[in-house]
Amino acid sequence: MSFLMPCPNCGTRSVYEFRFGGEFRRRPDPGAPDSDWVDYVYNRANINGVQKEWWYHRDGCEKWFVAERDTTCNMVNASYWPYESL
Amino acid sequence: MTNDGDRLSAHSSHQVSQERRVTFYFQGRPVGALSGDTVASALFAQGRRVFSRSFKYHRPRGLLCCSGDCPNCLMEIDGKPNIRACRVQVRPGLHARAQHAWPSVDHDFLRVIERFERLLPIGFYYKTLYKPQLLWKIAEPIIRKLAGLGRVSKQAPSEEYEHRYEFVDVIVIGGGPAGIEAAKVAASSGASVLLVENEPQLGGHLRYETKLYPYEELERPGYELAHMMNSALQNTADLSILTDATAFGSYEGGLVPVLQGRTLIHVRTRAMIVAAGCHQYLPVFRNNDLPGVMLSRSALRLMNLFAIRPGKRAAVYTANDQGYEAAFECLRHNIEVAALIDARKHVHRPERAFDLQLRGVPVISGMKIIEACGSRAVCAVKIASAEDSTRVDSSHQQTIKCDVVLVSTGSQGNSALLLQAGCQLGLDKQIGQPVPVRLAPGVFAAGEILGLRSLPSIIRSGQAAAQSAIQYLKLETVSWQDELDGLLAQARQQSNASFGSIRPTGGTKNFVCLCEDVTQMDLEQGVEEGFDEIETLKRYSTVSMGPCQGRMCARNSTEICAQATNRDFGAVGMTTARPPICPVPLGVLAGPEFHPVKRTSLHYKHLASTNKIMDMGLWKRPFVYTTVAEEYDAVRNHAGLIDVSTLGKLFVRGKDSPVLLDKLYTHWFSKLAVGRTRYGLMCDDSGTILDDGTVARLSDDRYYVTTSTGNIDFVEQWMKWWAAGTNWCVHIVNVTSGMAAVNLAGPKAREILAKVTPLDLSGPAFPYMACREARVAEVPALLLRVGFVGEIGWEIHFPADYGEYLWDVLLDAGRDYHLKPFGVETQRLLRLEKKHIIVGHDTDALSNPYDSDLQWVVKLDKPDFIGRHAHEKMRAQSGKNRLVGFQCVNGGQPDDGCAVVIRGKLAGRVTSARFSPKLNKYVGLAWLPTEHSRSGSEFGFYADGIVHPAVVVDEPFYDPEGNRLK
Repeated sequence: MSFLMPCPNCGTRSVYEFRFGGEFRRRPDPGAPDSDWVDYVYNRANINGVQKEWWYHRDGCEKWFVAERDTTCNMVNASYWPYESL
Repeated sequence: MTNDGDRLSAHSSHQVSQERRVTFYFQGRPVGALSGDTVASALFAQGRRVFSRSFKYHRPRGLLCCSGDCPNCLMEIDGKPNIRACRVQVRPGLHARAQHAWPSVDHDFLRVIERFERLLPIGFYYKTLYKPQLLWKIAEPIIRKLAGLGRVSKQAPSEEYEHRYEFVDVIVIGGGPAGIEAAKVAASSGASVLLVENEPQLGGHLRYETKLYPYEELERPGYELAHMMNSALQNTADLSILTDATAFGSYEGGLVPVLQGRTLIHVRTRAMIVAAGCHQYLPVFRNNDLPGVMLSRSALRLMNLFAIRPGKRAAVYTANDQGYEAAFECLRHNIEVAALIDARKHVHRPERAFDLQLRGVPVISGMKIIEACGSRAVCAVKIASAEDSTRVDSSHQQTIKCDVVLVSTGSQGNSALLLQAGCQLGLDKQIGQPVPVRLAPGVFAAGEILGLRSLPSIIRSGQAAAQSAIQYLKLETVSWQDELDGLLAQARQQSNASFGSIRPTGGTKNFVCLCEDVTQMDLEQGVEEGFDEIETLKRYSTVSMGPCQGRMCARNSTEICAQATNRDFGAVGMTTARPPICPVPLGVLAGPEFHPVKRTSLHYKHLASTNKIMDMGLWKRPFVYTTVAEEYDAVRNHAGLIDVSTLGKLFVRGKDSPVLLDKLYTHWFSKLAVGRTRYGLMCDDSGTILDDGTVARLSDDRYYVTTSTGNIDFVEQWMKWWAAGTNWCVHIVNVTSGMAAVNLAGPKAREILAKVTPLDLSGPAFPYMACREARVAEVPALLLRVGFVGEIGWEIHFPADYGEYLWDVLLDAGRDYHLKPFGVETQRLLRLEKKHIIVGHDTDALSNPYDSDLQWVVKLDKPDFIGRHAHEKMRAQSGKNRLVGFQCVNGGQPDDGCAVVIRGKLAGRVTSARFSPKLNKYVGLAWLPTEHSRSGSEFGFYADGIVHPAVVVDEPFYDPEGNRLK
């Protein structure tokens, strides 16, 4: 794995400067049924294609952002600041 | 002639310099070489023909490729095993040793293994030596000792390695004529270019050719053209050239790592031009691995780079025009050419054949070599009609006496980097080798790798590749596919090779894979056993899995598999070439040795008092200063001082900081009063504990958070993550290194601290679990009255710069009260007596607050926090295990991590255990099954080989009411 990740603040850097933060998804509301919570805690969509995900620039600006990465070829199409609440 | 019998006189094409001699050592004996020699060429010049012994049968092997593509010259050089002697330039004092032979490479007793060939067929270790089981116990150590090639020396001194980073627009792999042209054109168009060549000089195959080439209206010998092209390239702006450097892989993101000596260069490029040329490989005939059988280009290198005659009487075996040039080259150096054997029925350029015949060289067409004769070096070859497939009609055989065989029957492109970059190769029958048919975006190819053979077209292909690369960089539409198709069409026209006409001859000892001693029969047997796909056949036979990684054997093994399964070559396919394409020392990948260490600002004060420094992750911390007993006594009866600067520390501020903390912690923090501190437990949505710490509220919108040592990175990221994407006004600042912290604890702590601060420390003014900002010895500080060790005390947090000063001030103030510094080990004991858990030591990645006796920290009246849903479930049903305190009944020393045994079965583990002076016995924390976790329950722990009894204790072992803290 050696692809390049564009940080919205710092620009394109080696992916090893970043920490992967998982898929971008909504957390269930507090009153949601058990099945929603089990799905949220234990299951992932694991998309074979373009996936929206969280990344943290650990060796740089130390900020969280969202990237859209094609998981089949590790090409990142876009990255931006998250603007919606979870 | 020089003293080396086979040396030729000096010539300007030579890499060696006849004036400068170098002495190195082989098997401990001195060898005279010329400057510019490789270890292999110098030994060959001295008369050596056997360089190594083969992997399985210990057959003698000699120089075959002289270019690093085969395994035959692997030696131990200066203590490093498995180095190709043909790639190492001699230097004074170098020590070379043969490997994998006993007692010597010239007389290897282990060749006796070859007699047992019948017992060692392909995959023999899967079929034999397993019944009775004892057989394998005996056989395995023997096989392991015999297997492998070189040995790793444990005495080898460690070396230093470097990493470098380069960023270019275009990388050109291969510094032959195509690569040189591509680099020149790309650089002149303004791109930044890096040209990588793995030989010591640029020029590619031209370096060792004396043949005349048309070039810019002149005719020049190859080596002169190489010099000219090289000079023209020097001082070109925006062009860097690396020689003796190998680009060993193509990775995502345009990463092309280059190995140069002890340096790893991480090159990031936007476009890649692969002009890496071709390598030749041997056809399959009996004893094709005999020393003296070498590739024609190998002989040219010996003659024209190293000034060495490869033999006295050569047989040339060819299936293309290159062989004819090699024959002429031999004649030029006064080497007798016994015959030129052309496997093609019809010669492409009959006038060359005629020229040879005029010079007295018999040209035999339509024949192939079926056997090389000789015991440790070739002395003759047997040839027969090339039409025959398996059975050879002995009446048409001829035997030709010779002491060297130059082979030019097949070429394979050095296409590994193209394949790794996502390009597709296809076997072109007319061109005679697999060529790129579809290239990935940003990847281009030029030169012989496309099957081109005429120099003008090779140079034009370099131009075309560079121009297409520039188009690509400028984001213009690239017409590269059309260019490529055109170039391949040219290659077809130029092709004079024959494909598929040289069938492997049947019999034994005809090697397909020289690295692993795999013969044609082995592969056919493998197919018969059911391994009829090349992927499975490769793994079963280990063909192409040796040092050459398929360079010598990929084509032949695929052809044999195709033949055996009645399929087309294309249908069988070739196995995947993965990086690295050359051996890369692990040290080079690791780079410079760098062991980061974290020290608190008080570190040197600790060093002055103790040498028992321990590692806590990257942090260095004092383990103990004098003895645990002394320090324990000080803290419990007087006062102690410990450096806790390793704690993670964060300021969390902003009007929404209460909202964030409420969301992440199980307890209320929006309801925490200003000036108070609270224990904080952080969980994830599966309900398991992530971290614990303290949270102090300094004002309505300012909190000071501490975390476990070593967990600060996680906590900071976790907090920032949950705040990201909301519109909350909250700022998180990591001050772990900016702030130092000490804990002053013990019955006399208040008196000592009062000496250095004007703050009112009395009970009502500064109660337990409160926080205050004040000056301590004039240093601005934050004081937290917490009780980790179970005595009245304060954690003093202050700017790290004052570390040494404040340490001295406090020790001085406490002198009259018998204040002593105490270390981590004492702290562990003190907190254990209070049953204070350490997250990550007493809990693990599956522990939740309910099982860890922390349910009192979980406030389910809070509408939402991370983990709430899971905690509601956990409250309703108890878990399988619980964390409890225990004490020993009689004897036995439990250790952190020892096993809990109940009724003879493993039932849990002890997480912490120490000898408690208070109770005068060993106490600790352990995970037990819930049904055995009630106070008074008995269980056993396993230490010193036996099970000792222990009993569960509910309350803290020391001061269960907490009176000392109030």
